[in-house]
Amino acid sequence: MAKIPAWLRWSLYAAVGVLVLTTVQGFDDTDSLTAAGSSQSMLRWAVPILLAGLGGLFAERAGVVNIGLEGMMILGTWFGAWGAVVYGPWWGIVLAVLAGGMGGLLHAIATVTFGVDHIISGVAINILAPGITRFLSSEILTTLEGGSITQSPRVPGVGTFTVPIFGGGNIGTWQSPDFFGWIAAREWFLVSDIASLAKGLMTRISWVSLIALLLVPFVAWLLWRTRFGLRLRICGERPQAGEAQGINVYRYKYIGVVISGALSGLAGAFIVSPELSGIYLEGQTTGRGFIGLAALIFGNWRPLGVLGGALLFGYPFGIGLRDLDGSASHSLILVNAIGLGAVAIWAATRRKRGDAALALALGLVAAGWYLLSDTLPDVWINILPFVIVLIVLIFFAQRLRMPAADGLRYRRGEH
Amino acid sequence: MAQAIELIGITKRFPGVVANDSVNLSVEEGEIHAICGENGAGKSTLMKILYGMQQPDAGTMKVDGREVRFTSPSQAIDAGIGMVHQHFMLADQLTVLENVILGAEPTKAFGRIDFEEARSHLKQVGEAYGLTIDPDDLVEELEVGERQRVEIIKVLYRGAKILILDEPTAVLVPQEVEELFRNMRGLKNDGATLLFIDHKLDEVLAIADTITVLRDGKTVATVKPDEVTAHDLAELMVGSELPTPETTESTVTDVVALEVDSLLVVDLEDRVLVDDVSFRIRRGEVVGIAGVEGNGQAELVDAVLGTRPVKSGKISLMGEEITLIPVRERREKGIGYIPQDRHREGLLLPAPLWENAALGHQTQEPFTSGPFIDRDGAKSRTEHIRQEFDVRTPNVEVAAHALSGGNQQKLIVGREMTAGPVVLLAAHPTRGIDVGAQAEVWDDIKAARALGMATLLISADLDELIGLSDTIVVMLRGKLVATVDPATVSPRDLGAYMTGAKQESA
Repeated sequence: MAKIPAWLRWSLYAAVGVLVLTTVQGFDDTDSLTAAGSSQSMLRWAVPILLAGLGGLFAERAGVVNIGLEGMMILGTWFGAWGAVVYGPWWGIVLAVLAGGMGGLLHAIATVTFGVDHIISGVAINILAPGITRFLSSEILTTLEGGSITQSPRVPGVGTFTVPIFGGGNIGTWQSPDFFGWIAAREWFLVSDIASLAKGLMTRISWVSLIALLLVPFVAWLLWRTRFGLRLRICGERPQAGEAQGINVYRYKYIGVVISGALSGLAGAFIVSPELSGIYLEGQTTGRGFIGLAALIFGNWRPLGVLGGALLFGYPFGIGLRDLDGSASHSLILVNAIGLGAVAIWAATRRKRGDAALALALGLVAAGWYLLSDTLPDVWINILPFVIVLIVLIFFAQRLRMPAADGLRYRRGEH
Repeated sequence: MAQAIELIGITKRFPGVVANDSVNLSVEEGEIHAICGENGAGKSTLMKILYGMQQPDAGTMKVDGREVRFTSPSQAIDAGIGMVHQHFMLADQLTVLENVILGAEPTKAFGRIDFEEARSHLKQVGEAYGLTIDPDDLVEELEVGERQRVEIIKVLYRGAKILILDEPTAVLVPQEVEELFRNMRGLKNDGATLLFIDHKLDEVLAIADTITVLRDGKTVATVKPDEVTAHDLAELMVGSELPTPETTESTVTDVVALEVDSLLVVDLEDRVLVDDVSFRIRRGEVVGIAGVEGNGQAELVDAVLGTRPVKSGKISLMGEEITLIPVRERREKGIGYIPQDRHREGLLLPAPLWENAALGHQTQEPFTSGPFIDRDGAKSRTEHIRQEFDVRTPNVEVAAHALSGGNQQKLIVGREMTAGPVVLLAAHPTRGIDVGAQAEVWDDIKAARALGMATLLISADLDELIGLSDTIVVMLRGKLVATVDPATVSPRDLGAYMTGAKQESA
């Protein structure tokens, strides 16, 4: 497997995933799992997770665990909303990035300069950030027309675009053909489903989503092909080796953690943008910073893997968002059952009996649940995605490898 | 000949100690110069000063005749000085190439690394000095000797002409040491100046052109190898007579204390770590296990101690099976343990000595009274250990990290010995401690052996293994591949068994 290029490998995984979704839809006589709207909503959910995950990547590749992503994201939501309302959408993004970056700077000062335990500092930031935003809301949002202590007025967006030819976007004023939409309408097995999902990914995408997606190859290039990247990574692997070669480890850690916060801030700006909420609401990040960390772990601390994790975790959230009667989430349980069955077989072939038994048991529970019910109660629609994240991590996290010096306190001159 | 390095009156003080006390050192261009001394004699501090990692409080340094003052390693690198650290400064998950170019990356526009240029420069350096290595290997896949070569290439890549090697042989087996020495001579012939720290005297005598001996932070002598013997050097280092690990008469009895039968240990991925190992240790016997690190010795000790699950096989202590009982009960039944990494497994560094002395014995007299810790009992026991085992500390309340490595080790040895173990598992009991402390640890093991303690000894120091053991078994890839008599085997032969170059004749 190792010799297959990463992008091809991930594409194959995705194709198999769509195949499963299509099959399940066949049983349930619905198209909600592979509808263009589903992938669109998956992308909207995946973008903040991706940005937070890439943020986590910068911090952890520099050796600092950033559990404060959530808090930095909260700062991003508030400043993103306030900036967009008062100065316009792009200013909202700039302010959100700066605010997140300040959160990162705080984390860097605590962990790098003062050697505070990374988890403690991160938790402190997660507690501090909602306090700060609450205070700012009471001072500032309440003075705005339509704002209150817990929410902002409507937040304007930076706009969207639709890819021409493939997704039916306009070139100038001419409406181009809608290639994927056309295939999707043919109802060809699998092909139409893939096309439908692809159309969703190309229709009315926010510019921020585009930036987030382009960041993936850019970050891969930056961290693995440039001097900056090599020096940043040595800080996460063996900072003493960097120091011995005259590299200022503290500086690179600072840069990594500040970028980390800035990306989380950007994620926050996306959450309040009209693509997702169109408003700032207190408590609206709902743990997406942590899910970003989960995507980072799932992606084995690599950018493309983080994207995979973000899409994987974004999907059930996206489905849940559109799922008013609980039927799509209900289908998703069967997908889970199949996935767990696959994990069980995979674990069994590697003679990991414990894993296989656990996956099998969970899979049977999911299958039984699917068979004994028709829809999913509201509360489960909201919980299910988190459960999926948890299960995925249980089975994947043990074979991954994080940067060797990740989370360790580094003091210059100590060995 | 010109002086490559000249240090005059270098003094460096740390709170409470003078690490270097007006040290003078003069290294000629193109020579191999050895620095000898016990741990704590100030060798490492001196090298760190020379490499810009620390700044001297007084004194002058000259490199190639020019006076210099380094505030960071990069300045030393610019002056042509390179350092090969004892603990390799390599990132395991990066490639050889990435490790080598780190900090001196050739770049194109936008800070892109010019990997082609880096590769060809690496190849050129390798060819010039006759050192070869695959640039795309991950460091974690390399043998210890190869990693060291990467370190040396790393230094040469930066154009260093003066190389500082900090205890380069500490991690190598004899065959690798020979390879290293060949490389060192090659470097010297190509015009490099080498400065190396070592306290294995036969090695120093074999390779050095000049030897400087440090003791208590002062230079006590600078000699030529043909003027002195190993014995003379040792006395210069210690300031008194030379200890040896040799035990005199056998104290082996007929009572089997520890019996290991067909032991199989695997890791999480089912890779075999300890492969069908059987042996017995009788009371009063020391069984030494020789092996290149990573061949299952550590896992064997873990299994006997109980910190690692056993897949199959049987372990018995004084005839009673202990394979499945937890670590604490094994300890209570009389298994003593000197861990190979005292900082990770032996001590709680920020905790006071008396708490450290209770570790592993926290359920036993005199450390407990009922369900509580008996502070007074623990302290008086620790005081006893301090006196009996010569742990140099102002009192038993100081934190363990305040002690030097040798004293920390003596505390651990004292802790285990005072509990009177039936079986002692000693993993590298004298690693990284100075000659004086080493001799005391050897004496402690010998004394306990005479009283009937059975010892499983693991050591990378082959002289120690040969000197202390009654029997030596060789471990290779998890298997016991040979049993040798320490009275007749030479370190060279032992090394050959350890690398698999030599097999036991049936």
